[in-house]
Amino acid sequence: MVLHTVNCPPSHPALGQCLRLLAPGDALLLLGDGVYAALAGSRAAAELAASGAALHVLDVDARAAGVLERLADGVSVCDDEGFVALTERYPRQQAWY
Amino acid sequence: MSAPSVLLVTRHAPYGASLARSALDAALAAAAFDRPPTLLFLGDGVLQLLPGQDASGIGTRSHRRVLDSLPLYGIDTLYVDSQALAGHDLTAADLPPGARPVDDAAIRALLAGHDHILGF
Amino acid sequence: MLPDSAFDKEGFLRELDDWSPAVAEQLAAAEGIALGAAHWEVIELLRDYYRQFESSPAMRPLVKYCALKLGPDKGKSIYLMSLFPGSPAKLGSKIAGLPKPDNCL
Repeated sequence: MVLHTVNCPPSHPALGQCLRLLAPGDALLLLGDGVYAALAGSRAAAELAASGAALHVLDVDARAAGVLERLADGVSVCDDEGFVALTERYPRQQAWY
Repeated sequence: MSAPSVLLVTRHAPYGASLARSALDAALAAAAFDRPPTLLFLGDGVLQLLPGQDASGIGTRSHRRVLDSLPLYGIDTLYVDSQALAGHDLTAADLPPGARPVDDAAIRALLAGHDHILGF
Repeated sequence: MLPDSAFDKEGFLRELDDWSPAVAEQLAAAEGIALGAAHWEVIELLRDYYRQFESSPAMRPLVKYCALKLGPDKGKSIYLMSLFPGSPAKLGSKIAGLPKPDNCL
């Protein structure tokens, strides 16, 4: 079980690589420009939902981007403490940037 | 208790940024402390493996040649993203001896199967 | 004899192409080492290593490379220490006209 973090926008190849390797049981945290992948109705959000991984966005970044207003179903919002809790729960982390 | 296993993931081409070189330095440093990591070349990272590199014109060392010296440092486990290899029309014959192409399922198992992941 | 300016402040040769066996003798003399056949064998091996990998070896790969090329009796740190006392990888590279090995942790 791996925690993946993505901070690049959906068009970036790193998101594609992350999607390829995301496994059910993994968690994904979107932060920075990565939060756009959680836009409801977007292709990236559909692909993420199909991965079976637990999906999270960082609250401040999602709010700043206006993504919080139109967050895809099934994505949970986490604050800094939630981020830390994720890193405790998943000792293996892969950052996609 | 055995030493924690480390998977070093390197996903950038060798010369455009310092990430690939930093990944190697980290691998060599870990090996010097008898913790040789497993290396995974992912995405554009497979471009580090192109044979025939000559970086003398840009004032640096051939990345591939340094990779070729890794077994002497005790680093002999190299995995390579087979999808990225195919995408760049590289084949197993281009790889250093002992490097193993792996599919997505095997990469997922590598990520989940090591105690730590170091990403570059 | 090369002038002092040909060497950096640690005594390593600045330009690879300036190296010759005579320069090796000069470098060795500065370190108080009289070069014999066994030294030359390792100096040649170090230069081969550099040609193959474009870097000077740290101790561990040097030992392995010696074992590979010269046989198990010479692929031992104690043997290399007897030729180049202290830090064989560093001292050997210096006399072979190579850059100081990095990754020397």
